[in-house]
Amino acid sequence: MTTTTSTSPDRVGDDDPTSTPDLGTTGGEPRTRGERTAYVRLELRRTLRDLVTMFFVVGLPAFMYVLFGASAGYSQESAGNGNVALYVMISMAAYGAVTATVGIGGMAAVERMQGWGRQLGLTPLGDGTYVATKAVVALVVATLPILVVYVLGVLTGAEGTAVAWLGSAAVLVVGAVMFALYGLIFGLAFRSEAAVTAASGSLVVLGFLGNIFFPLSGFLLDVARFTPLYGYVSLARYPLTEGYVIDTEGGLVREALWMSVANVAVWTTIFAVLATWLVRRSRGRQ
Amino acid sequence: MTRADTPAVEITALTKSFPSRAGTVQAVRGIDLTVARGEVVAVLGPNGAGKTTTLDVVLGLTAPTSGEVRVLGRSPREAVRTGRVSAVLQTGGLLRDLTVRETVELIASTYAVHAPVEDVVRRANLTGVSSRKVSKCSGGEQQRLRFALALLPDPELLILDEPTAGMDVSARRAFWDAMHAEAAAGRTVLFATHYLEEADSFASRIVLVADGRVAADGPTDVIRGQALGRTVAARLDLDAVDTAATALRSLVSVREVRVDHDRLTVTTSDSDAVARVLLTELGARDLEVTTGSLEAAFVALTSAPEGAAA
Repeated sequence: MTTTTSTSPDRVGDDDPTSTPDLGTTGGEPRTRGERTAYVRLELRRTLRDLVTMFFVVGLPAFMYVLFGASAGYSQESAGNGNVALYVMISMAAYGAVTATVGIGGMAAVERMQGWGRQLGLTPLGDGTYVATKAVVALVVATLPILVVYVLGVLTGAEGTAVAWLGSAAVLVVGAVMFALYGLIFGLAFRSEAAVTAASGSLVVLGFLGNIFFPLSGFLLDVARFTPLYGYVSLARYPLTEGYVIDTEGGLVREALWMSVANVAVWTTIFAVLATWLVRRSRGRQ
Repeated sequence: MTRADTPAVEITALTKSFPSRAGTVQAVRGIDLTVARGEVVAVLGPNGAGKTTTLDVVLGLTAPTSGEVRVLGRSPREAVRTGRVSAVLQTGGLLRDLTVRETVELIASTYAVHAPVEDVVRRANLTGVSSRKVSKCSGGEQQRLRFALALLPDPELLILDEPTAGMDVSARRAFWDAMHAEAAAGRTVLFATHYLEEADSFASRIVLVADGRVAADGPTDVIRGQALGRTVAARLDLDAVDTAATALRSLVSVREVRVDHDRLTVTTSDSDAVARVLLTELGARDLEVTTGSLEAAFVALTSAPEGAAA
């Protein structure tokens, strides 16, 4: 049914559109192999091009680290297996990482409902592959603020044992994925880009309650322990602090590891159940 | 070969209803349709006739409430998964922050094998705008991009849902020119439209859908002959109306005669002949001839009391 016999090499990924081979008016055989990594690559390029998002994901946490971590007078004070600068560094990297994953999760929901889902429905791409693709993108983008803030940390005197550095980074990367579900929930429930912005904005509140920006104490700290960012950040800090929390008065409180783990486990379950329910609901409406 | 004998599309007793706040909406009330391979078929009907829903089922985007749909001898999803069928959707969202070329590359990556990206960009006439952001593309360019995406798997069956909605006349012509080339290559094309002219100039067969059912189905010239009629209306003496109606019904060119008290309304493909007979032989007065605009004729043909305003 097709007649052309072009032998031009495949040029996927080449940005030069001018050198079209002279083919007949009908098409070519489907002879080019689908490039498995192209979806991830293009999604990444697309996210990194969004400068406003990247400012909040990378720029703001880096700036806050320099302000509250590196240049603060207490930065060289000891904090467990490292110093306070490292403690602040982990906090800010966490904020950047979750901002990234909330945005990616939320936009995934919104773009699917705004018709991209129908477009993808015309391709062989399965739901599982789509979710995996988005998860990889979320992981990579979440790694960026961690990388930038950690490099800043190295350059500005954050200190700690190897376990404190690497352990915290590992927890930050893996744990950030649960907040993709948080963004997804907002996107599915409210179906608009504004909802995703709101979800990212709500991270500021959760960040305060998560003990990220400012050490909490007393009643507020007791409440904060039950909020989602608290578990994530305290788990990431565990390799550094071994559970000790600095409160407003500079005193130390020790928390058991199981508390952070339980917090993360419970919130991940809540997010997963809510997201699943919302996905089912949106399917039923079609 | 039995595989080549299976129809491109085979729809049997399809119904589809949606739950809504006002109760259940019956979008499709029983459609049977078989499209042979290589045919170019237009599904013509007003908005809300059930065209989009039917095509969605054929593409596996929604499940039928009842009835069966086979696409190239397999289930719709299987046909999509293997790249045998693809589509240009009316409301398929595109990612606004990707460029035209990136969009093609991204969708291409979902196929095991696909036509070269360069190639489909050129065939959809997008080479000049390939590095433009989707958000900066006109409606026509975005539609040609959806068309390029549909060409990627080199499908045997192309489905188009109102492909030229929102395009101006020249964009519309350019789109159908590109489409002609694909149909000439032997692809089966099934498209929905509410423009009679489009169905007329591009399809070899027209399926009229109204109110969730097939109202007429036949070769384009037959359907056009029915749709392109004119309406002749006249007043007669009350006692002469019935005889006149019978006389007119016997004329070959007359399709329908309606009697409303002392007024006759005749739908015909030869308004001159009908007018002559009415004035010279039947003693009619107050004669009016209205050129059936295509839309009006179409509405008459599908005779849907509501929702036919489109």
